[in-house]
This record gives sequence, C-alpha cells and structure tokens, in this order.
Amino acid sequence: MAVPSTASSVAQGEGVVKRFGSTTALSGASFSIGHGVTGLLGPNGAGKTTLIGLLLGLHRADAGKLTVLGLDPARLGPEVRARVGYAPEHHRLPPDVKAQDLVRHLAEVHGLPSREAAARASDALWQVGLGEERFRPVGTLSTGQRQRVKMAQAMAHDPAVVLLDEPTDGLDPVQRDQMLALIRRVADEFGIDVVLSSHLLDEVERSCDAAVILSEGRVVAGGTLDELRGGSRGLVVEVTEGSEGVVAWLRRAGCDVNLDGGRLIVTRGHAAAEHDLHDLVRDAVVSAHAHLRRVTPLTVSLEDVFLDLAS
Amino acid sequence: MTAPSSARIIEGGYRRFEGVRSGRRGAIRSVAIHTTQRALGLRRAARYKILPVLAALLAYVPAIVYAGLAALRPPDTFFDNQFLPTYAEYYFFITSAIVVFAAFVAPEVLCTDRRTGMLGLYLASPLTRYTYLLSKALSVMGVLAIVTLGPPLFLLIAYVLIGTGPDGPADILLFVVRIVAAGALVSAFFGSLSMAVSSLTDRKAAASAAIVVILLLSGVVTGSLVEGADVSPQLLLANLFVLPFEAVIRIFGESTEDVNFQQLGATEVIAATIGWCLVFAGVVVARYRALEVTR
Repeated sequence: MAVPSTASSVAQGEGVVKRFGSTTALSGASFSIGHGVTGLLGPNGAGKTTLIGLLLGLHRADAGKLTVLGLDPARLGPEVRARVGYAPEHHRLPPDVKAQDLVRHLAEVHGLPSREAAARASDALWQVGLGEERFRPVGTLSTGQRQRVKMAQAMAHDPAVVLLDEPTDGLDPVQRDQMLALIRRVADEFGIDVVLSSHLLDEVERSCDAAVILSEGRVVAGGTLDELRGGSRGLVVEVTEGSEGVVAWLRRAGCDVNLDGGRLIVTRGHAAAEHDLHDLVRDAVVSAHAHLRRVTPLTVSLEDVFLDLAS
Repeated sequence: MTAPSSARIIEGGYRRFEGVRSGRRGAIRSVAIHTTQRALGLRRAARYKILPVLAALLAYVPAIVYAGLAALRPPDTFFDNQFLPTYAEYYFFITSAIVVFAAFVAPEVLCTDRRTGMLGLYLASPLTRYTYLLSKALSVMGVLAIVTLGPPLFLLIAYVLIGTGPDGPADILLFVVRIVAAGALVSAFFGSLSMAVSSLTDRKAAASAAIVVILLLSGVVTGSLVEGADVSPQLLLANLFVLPFEAVIRIFGESTEDVNFQQLGATEVIAATIGWCLVFAGVVVARYRALEVTR
C-alpha cells in the first residue's frame, strides 16, 4: 500500500562517513531533508551521488546514522526503495524498449500489479509530456525526452519521495525550464517529495524549497533557501536622520553594524540570543530619536552563500 | 436542449496507488519474466527471435521426429527401441542448441543491463544485488531448460508409445525425476558458466565468444593432456564441454563410451559438475558485490 511520507523529515543524517578505498566520499555529513523540493548542491566530486547511493541503501555508511522516511536504508533497503523513486544521472536506457514498456516494467518491479503498472506508466508519461511518444523506442528519443522517461519511471509507482541525480544534465535552456517546472509540479500537485542533486546554483534557487550544500564530502550548510540566504542572519536598516546614534546603540548592545552607503547592515554579533534583532533595532531607533525609513531582512544569493562557504 | 447531467470529472491529474504492493517476490518475478521475454525475443523486433527459434528447432525437431515415428510405426514391425537414442545420448543431439543458448542468453541479459544503466534502476527498486542475480539466474536457467528439459520429455513419450519405455506410473515418475535432475544440472552448469563470463565484461560479443572458447579450449586441453601426456583422468573434471553431459549419463544410470571418463565414478563426476556451478556462481556474486551502480 502506498505510504505517504508521514515521517517528520524525508531523510536525516548524522555524522555520515563513507569511504571508497582510500578516498573519503563523505566525511561526517549531518543534514536534515524536509518535505517539498530539496536540492543537494555542490561541485562535482562533493559527494552528492554518494549521498544518493546511501539514501537508496546501495552503500553502507562506514560511520554515522542515516534514516530515510524513518527507516534505516542500510538495514531495510528494499523497504525504503519500494517507497522511493530514482532517476540516475546517466542518459543510457535500453534503446530498443518502448518508453511505455520500460516505465511499466519498472513500476511492476516496484510492486505494482501488472494492469495498474500499465495504466500508471501511461499516466506518468502523459504527465511528463510524453503522451504521444510513449510507444516509441527509447533509443529514438532525444536527451530531453529521455530525462522525462527517467522522471516518469521514478514517479510511476507512486513513491513518497523521488531522488533525481542531475535531472537537467544535457538539457537545453527551454528543456531545463520545463524540467524544473515539472519537478515543482511533482512536489506541489502530486504531493511527492523531491530530492535533486545539482551543481547549478540558479537551478536549485529556482526550483527548491531547501538545500543541503556539500563540499569535499562535508555538509557545509543546510536549511530552507531563506535561511541559507540569511533571512534570519541580519537586517538591512535605512534611517534618514540619527544613524550615528543607532549605530552606537546597536554596537553597545553587541550587534555588528556595517555601513553600506546610507544603509546599516545589522547582524547579531555578540548580542544576547534572547533579544530579537528587530526589537534591538526598534529600541536603537527610539533611543537615538532617528527617523526610520525601512527595515528588510538581510538576503544574499545562493551563489554568494556558496562562494562564502567554499572560501 | 439536453437535460443537465450529473456527470462530473472527479480528478484529472495524478492518482495515488492505494493497493497492495507485491514486494521483493513480485520484483524477482517481474524481472525474471521480463528477462526471459527479452532473451527469447518476445515483444522485440523479428531479428531478435531468429536465434532462439533456431536453437529451439535444433533441440526439438529430432525429439518430435522420434516421438512421431514411435506413434506412427506399424504395429509388430521391425521397429523396436533400437532406433531411439537413450536419454543421455539425446543430450549430444542438443549440444549445439545448449551452447547457442549458453553463449547468447546470459550476455544478453547481464551485459545489456550494465551497458544500458538498467542495473542501477533495478537496484533502486526493492531488489538487492542478490535478488537481482537470482531473478536473472532463474531466467537464464529457464531459457536453457527449454532445450534441456523439453526434448527428453518428448523422448519419454516416444519410449512410452512404443512400449519399451518406463513401465507403470512409478517407473515413469522415476524417469521424469531423472530428466528434471539432468536438465536442471545441465542448465545450472551452462547458465552459471555463461553468467560468470558475462559478469566480467560489458561487451556481449566478447562474452559470447569467450564462453564458446572456454568450452572448446577446456575440452581440447584436458583431452590432449590425459590422452597424450598420461596425466591423471581426474583432469577431465575440468573438461567443461563434456563434464555436464557425462554427469547426465550417470544420472540416467547409463555407461559412458569415453574410455577416460570410464575411470571416473558417478559421484565424482556429478559432484565436480555441481562444484563448477558453485565456483561460477561465486564469480558472479563477487563481481556484482563490487559493482558501482549509481553513476
């Protein structure tokens, strides 16, 4: 029976280590993947594909703890994989098999009865925009169409979560937009959580609700995109008069304040954790008798975050 | 004007699957059936059906002819059981069909999965590496059983028809058991050998050629060493081409005509055949344990 992802998180890892011989692919990765669309972000060789392999239970972690949908994939791999769809990075698929036959067969392998698998394969191929081409051999399809076939086979068996390894690899800009829109639909309309790996920052920024950033086998950051962009890191304050007093007051309260033209970039610094940054700014403005024009969250692009973390 | 209808579209998008999933067993069955269909060229273009049909013809035509002659022979004529080959002898008729299937089926079902990335998709399902190999082995053995089991059963019918075959249900059952045991052993031997070779290369043609070369070479080398260099006849247990058929002779309780094999006991020959099956299976398992499949 289909089990929707009722676990509080789709996947969680704590201190996950994976070595291949002398190469350490993951060194103590800790992360939490929630519902919606989550991007595994990182340069080539960061450990994204290894992490997907671990989530599928295809590798056993050398150390650490990992759960997917509340289950240990190393111990209960088949149970986990029955509820997970997977689209690999490569574009190789059996060239002489019709798209419909391939998707139907893989749905059957995931436990669907034959008739249901045939119906759902057809539905899934329509949903990904290959309704008219579903009886064509895979070898005659374009790279973009093959990506869609991979997506169709990943979702045809009604998984709780799909893992997509570089789903836009090899696509032209139009196909890429369509694929990202499809990924959003899978999450928003079909209710299937999505984990996609990518090394393209704008792709993750456009399609994901959250991201886990990997670098050299370590998770260097993770959270919702707002959190990663610094939505809770600081504030941008614009005052028309009395800015010196505001700066002085905030610095006395332990905040870090940088001047950017007429704007004050306020971050928590050493300020006590119990004080809300908005409250501190309010009190500073009142104390300095300043004229407040605007307060906005401090945001940066994911690219800035990534470059900052990488450096 | 038509009356307003109560019909309405409930849902036009994605449907959840609320039924019961078949789990691991269903996955094994599904892969085994799909693989067998591919190996036999079913649901594929006509050119993929040529080889299986030819191999089946090679195996079945003599058996069907014998059964037909036995059924149509005039009563009380010169026909007796002498015109029929023994069960073990019949395996020599179907050697070519067995070798053809051994050389082409396992490379088709194993190399193709690795080359086309299907292995990664299978292992991302409820299948594990072991259950995947089990389903592939069931398929390979099943296809080989078409030529190792079917024809001897036709021969049994022929023997029963001319009245010189097994006598009574118990005797018939004994022969059926022997036919099944012999067919299963030959299928397991050639199936595991071809799977072992196919696990070592992604190239189908190379695997097919290697299987034939290994079979022929082992026969030539062991035969010439035993006959020409007076090496112990135990070396014949490494004659991969003849060993399984010698095991069949012993399963049916017949005597071999090969002078060198006559020096080897039934237990020795059958145990060696089973031993080779285990060695080949070990190669396949070791190879697949080490495979990286997520890329």
